[in-house]
Amino acid sequence: MIAFVSGGARSGKSTFAEALTRRWQDERGGKRYYLATASRGDTEMQARISRHRRVRGEGWITLEEPVDLCAALDRVVPGSTLLLDCLTLWASQLLYASQLDETQGTVMIARMLAEARQRDIALVIVSNDINEGMPSEDAGVWCYVAFLQRVHCLVASEADEVIQVMAGLPQVWKRHGERQP
Amino acid sequence: MQLFIGGTCAGKRGVVEQRFGSTCWHSAHSGCRLEAWPSVAEPLPLVLEGWERWIAERLVVEPDDDRLRHAMANELDKLCSWEAEQGGEAVLIMLEMGRGIVPLGAEKRRLRDLNGWLAQTAAQRCVQVWYVRNGLAKLLSH
Repeated sequence: MIAFVSGGARSGKSTFAEALTRRWQDERGGKRYYLATASRGDTEMQARISRHRRVRGEGWITLEEPVDLCAALDRVVPGSTLLLDCLTLWASQLLYASQLDETQGTVMIARMLAEARQRDIALVIVSNDINEGMPSEDAGVWCYVAFLQRVHCLVASEADEVIQVMAGLPQVWKRHGERQP
Repeated sequence: MQLFIGGTCAGKRGVVEQRFGSTCWHSAHSGCRLEAWPSVAEPLPLVLEGWERWIAERLVVEPDDDRLRHAMANELDKLCSWEAEQGGEAVLIMLEMGRGIVPLGAEKRRLRDLNGWLAQTAAQRCVQVWYVRNGLAKLLSH
């Protein structure tokens, strides 16, 4: 099972995704993992990570991996449920802090999705919607948005559940693999 | 007439290609001028994309927003007439760009406003309006 949860900043997407991950783990059994793509970086980022960790509560096995999502997935026991939060930071780290490019990043996501299905790991993937303002004239920003959108389209296409969260309320775009009208 | 609206790289083109199959494209991104669409109109559905570019071209020579809105609405009316009189089918692809911060430049603010108004005008004239997000489409109105 794969779910894609996205929304704007502070839309409630992480809270929704955490609840969904708990529910799936309750139904399926197995372990519950949290894969953080955030790098600790500055003190604001450290405080943000601490807040997320506090709100999540107990029962999570936390993995931290800014770029190599497949390597992180290799550490997850088959039959588990994994929350990946979030693609937005992963995409920026892949483009600006690694030797990988957009094509390799897209291949990595496709491989991660396929391996999760193969190893019976339920995946809940979180990302930010950042593409509905005026398109940036900065080539670097434009490349980043285009890359993230390509990844979003791929994940939404492969996912069984696609949920947009606004003001804490889920809007369902896809359920049980079926597109919702 | 149908409208597909969504953000940058939201997958609008793919959704339209999937739904309509063979189509005739009239795109500002390929250098097509808006008013030239009658020369390419065929029995196939006519897809018009790049409206924000057509607005951007016109706003530098038309300082009055109301006149520009009226001119763009006229273009939509011509498409409606073509559909009604000649049995054509027009598919509009428009860019949602109104959800970010207010741009600093006056021209960018005008573009954003005019683009939003045009989307509203188009939605009023379309039998179906689709919101495209991450390659998926949701029907907003019909």
